[in-house]
Amino acid sequence: MLTNLQDRITSTQTTVLVSSFILGLGILTLPRAVTDETGTPDGWISVILGGLVAMLAGSLLAKFSQCFPGKTFYQYSQDIAGKWIGNIICLYGVGYFTLLASFEVRAMAEVTDFFLLPATPKEVTMGMLLLASAYLVVGGLNAVARLYEGFLPITVILFFLVLFMGFKEFDVDHLRPVLSKGWLPVLQGVKTTSLSYLGLETMLFLPAFMDKPRDSVKAVVVGIGISMFFYVLTVIIVIGVLTVDDVVTLTFPTIDLARSVELEGVFFERYESFLLAVWILQIFTTLSLCHYFAGLGLRHVFANENWFRPFVYGLLPVIYGLGWVPTTINDMFAVGDLLGYLLLGLIVVIPLLLLIIAKMRGMLHANHS
Amino acid sequence: MTDGRKSKTSRIRKARPLSPKKLSATEPSASPGAREDETPSGGGANQAFVDPFQRLIEEKGTRTELRTREFYLRGTNIRAVLLFLNELADSKMINEHVLKPLLINFRLSDEADGANMPSNLLDIIKDRFLTVNDVIKVAVSDVSSHIFHGNAALWIEGADEVLVINTKNKKSRKFAEPLTEALVRGPRLGFNESLQDNLAILRQQVANPNLSVITKHVGQRTKKELAIVYFAGIVNEDLLQEVERRIDNMIELDDIPESGYIEQLIEENHMTLFPQLQSTERPDRIVAALLEGRVVILLDGTPFALIAPVTFAMLLQSPEDYYERWIPGSLIRLLRYFAAFLTIFLPSIYIAFVSFHQGLIPTTLAISIAATREGVPFPSIIESFVMEIAIEILREAGLRLPKPVGQTVGLVGGLVIGEAAVQAGIVSPIMVIVVSLTAISSFVIPQYAGGISMRVLRFGAMICAGVLGLFGVIFYFLILSIHLVKLKSFGVPYVSPAAPIYLSDWKDFVLRLPQKMMTRRPKMLFTQDEIRLRSPTKRK
Repeated sequence: MLTNLQDRITSTQTTVLVSSFILGLGILTLPRAVTDETGTPDGWISVILGGLVAMLAGSLLAKFSQCFPGKTFYQYSQDIAGKWIGNIICLYGVGYFTLLASFEVRAMAEVTDFFLLPATPKEVTMGMLLLASAYLVVGGLNAVARLYEGFLPITVILFFLVLFMGFKEFDVDHLRPVLSKGWLPVLQGVKTTSLSYLGLETMLFLPAFMDKPRDSVKAVVVGIGISMFFYVLTVIIVIGVLTVDDVVTLTFPTIDLARSVELEGVFFERYESFLLAVWILQIFTTLSLCHYFAGLGLRHVFANENWFRPFVYGLLPVIYGLGWVPTTINDMFAVGDLLGYLLLGLIVVIPLLLLIIAKMRGMLHANHS
Repeated sequence: MTDGRKSKTSRIRKARPLSPKKLSATEPSASPGAREDETPSGGGANQAFVDPFQRLIEEKGTRTELRTREFYLRGTNIRAVLLFLNELADSKMINEHVLKPLLINFRLSDEADGANMPSNLLDIIKDRFLTVNDVIKVAVSDVSSHIFHGNAALWIEGADEVLVINTKNKKSRKFAEPLTEALVRGPRLGFNESLQDNLAILRQQVANPNLSVITKHVGQRTKKELAIVYFAGIVNEDLLQEVERRIDNMIELDDIPESGYIEQLIEENHMTLFPQLQSTERPDRIVAALLEGRVVILLDGTPFALIAPVTFAMLLQSPEDYYERWIPGSLIRLLRYFAAFLTIFLPSIYIAFVSFHQGLIPTTLAISIAATREGVPFPSIIESFVMEIAIEILREAGLRLPKPVGQTVGLVGGLVIGEAAVQAGIVSPIMVIVVSLTAISSFVIPQYAGGISMRVLRFGAMICAGVLGLFGVIFYFLILSIHLVKLKSFGVPYVSPAAPIYLSDWKDFVLRLPQKMMTRRPKMLFTQDEIRLRSPTKRK
């Protein structure tokens, strides 16, 4: 009654959803991933450039979604391309989000296994996180958005706490010289970094739920901006503390940063537990939103409003099973690369295709003005 | 009515006519009941006369304290019967304000007598003679519900309706200091069990006609009075309607003995530990809530009023936060949030670190913990469970016992058993510290209902920590957050203003900023009038 009964979200919530979705595995791996590409300490420039690319792409997607007010990607792709092709597009989206969810949950299990619970089977941690996700997702997008809103301040506070502890050993010289090998390595890094902003595809869906869809461009730009800020800071501090040579050898350099920090005389001497706590929450945000979008897609494909809950629960074993497809942690990162290409399909190829079809069928004129 | 009991049976019998002459001669100083017995029976002269109360008396009369008083209006042959419940009705009031005007002062302006009685006699009596504030006309069939609330019913011969006269004389306890919500600084006034008294306090504190009351009767058999109080012009109409709708749709129980029943009957989620209505016995808290745009439910027979909607933040607020200056107020509030966190998570974090992640605590501390745990035969999860349950038992024991004994129990339990358990090597001293710190933290939570929920939640966290270590604690935190986020109290998200974010409401959330800055009512309530504080120049 006091709140909107329909599943509406505010512009602030959209911003939070976008940035929470983006922040995930990247916090831990990005410093290595980008330094691998650049080979110089200039990774942070690549992160900024990648962020700008992502903002551009996100704004375009938001604009694109605005052409179909009140409709999600799933709905308008069926409207434009017809039932059959539309269903195939929907299933592509469902598959993408399911795979992404499985990737996130597997990554979470790997990290937890490595740093927190070496003796506990990964099946347990994965299963529990998935159950929590289902519990949240059946509450609808509004509940999801509110949870993320609540988590963001916690994330910000604890994350900065950990990062700034690293300042004691921070050395600016590790970041120098800037652009020692020119722009080329930096631009190579952009390819990796822009994919670490995986999450702007949410703009295909979220504007349909916004109470003020006009703000969607602003929301996505600010949302990506927040995650960009986190990423840049992480890369700068991790490289500044650990040096380029070390970072490329570490799987999760950010955790090693937290481990390298020791504050004497305080109750805790090591702070990676805080980082891991925050990071599990952030992984969970990505996971549950993927879960939601996958369930939403299935609901559209089968065109039954009441089947959302069964689909959400039904996706659990699928995500869980897909999570076990990669056998080693390197396979897992390969899935991450695959997801990058699938993302390009989702946000570049399909929208362009839809635009062309819509133009040909003359469906855009009514909404353009 | 002092001798009511003695003359009970004789007065219950109906239709004992009195001669008008005799009646006018009697003195008002004598109690009506006594006089009635003295009057000689008039034989069977007026046997045809049947008053409408007869059936009621016949049904219930012998088993209740129902009394009738028959008389003639002064100077007429018009017969009148007064029906009331002996224990509840105020006999002084009946004598002074009902019988006296009718027996001594009654006078019809024209020459009406028993033969040509004016048709609006009831209205004349009501409007000109009864010196009672609250008199209503009701149908004869509705009389019994009024009588059993302590009202008196007056029937005049020939009338088809009955006057119900307010002669309630409710017994209530004196106002006392609220026991469950103690303050260092603030009003010492707490509600008592009488709805009338409690409403009177509210009226006295809010001298504004916009303070509105909707009264209802709940409890199928006891018909307790319930009041929905709100501030018109501030309250969100949707909220008010929702509260009213839920109370109307409540299951009809025989009795609603306490407002806790209402709370359980109108809350939206039964599967949660968190209270979705706030109960309080502090009028100042109620007034503050009313002015924020909340709706208050008062029930006759209990000092605990309900406030709806409630948010998580309210569980950790005390009126004192506002009475003290804002800096100590804010700091104490922060302390409470910290204490709430400790209450739920301290034992579980201890378990997680000691059993799973010894590497994450400083080496020297780890060694000293290990040294104290030497010889303890249980894993820390069992150890902490034993201790936590023991302390819950102690707390419950201390609560139900008479006060002096309760303190002894606390002393014996806390000191002796704790010390002995450590000496015996069953638990480690650090565990005792953790458990007692947790228990003390839980006392910091100002709302009893909130404190209980957090105490229970602690056990879930301990199980998760015992099974999955720190991941379990994080998982539990996650589940708890999801639960709280999905929870709503009358449509208001439970953890607002944190989620959804209402930044302007953060002025009164974890911090309590200066009064000057709190210019608006809580945004989450969507009040009609948002502005709370107007600058002095604008007031004129």
